[in-house]
Amino acid sequence: MSYKITEEGNVATVHLDGEIDMDVTEKAKEVIMPLIEAGKEVHLNLKEVQYMDSSGISVLIESHQKAAELGTKVILKEISKSVLKVIMMAKLEQILIIE
Amino acid sequence: MNFEDHKEFPVDSASLKGVRSYTREVLSQDPVFKSTTDDVVLAVAEAAQNIVKHAYSGEPTGDTMRVEISFKEGQLKIELFDKGKPAIPKNIKPRQLDDVKPGGLGTFFIGQIMDEVIFKTAASDWVNRLILIKNY
Repeated sequence: MSYKITEEGNVATVHLDGEIDMDVTEKAKEVIMPLIEAGKEVHLNLKEVQYMDSSGISVLIESHQKAAELGTKVILKEISKSVLKVIMMAKLEQILIIE
Repeated sequence: MNFEDHKEFPVDSASLKGVRSYTREVLSQDPVFKSTTDDVVLAVAEAAQNIVKHAYSGEPTGDTMRVEISFKEGQLKIELFDKGKPAIPKNIKPRQLDDVKPGGLGTFFIGQIMDEVIFKTAASDWVNRLILIKNY
């Protein structure tokens, strides 16, 4: 997994790339959580994520819940087809914020 | 096309990519799997992840896990063997989806994708044996 962060005002956009599984979830959290804790609205661009398993989905849930707790939000953008399929299998499309 | 194949992997989260690649490669032998390959790869990877996470509690080990894949008379059978803590089948349950929290989805995904999921005590040198079946 690789990533790129761009910031504009209070919005931080994280472009994730590659495969997100148990092996990289800590790294993903290390990238996303400080932005949420800083009060940023975080946009996760998942266009280049080819694979995500339950560990990756857990990162999305944890990020969403942490943001809600701190009064901000995590918005999922340009979700790849394979990731969207897993989100829908977990019936999270009505829980997570997807644009 | 009937086939049997197997491979062992170190019990480590870094092996999960290899488990996925191996499963994908084996399934590529027959076009019958084409529309379900991504799902089956996810199920096998979730099962392997459960070995790393639960059978070994994420602790470093020199042990290996074994993945066996066979296809016979329209039935895909994938078996995973490990030497970790014995699994207690009645305790292995997917979480309720309306209880939204991180974790617990892997077993749910496996159940959604495969037609049968069977936990057994393994014979010979292994401790746990998980059998995943999908009919074609």
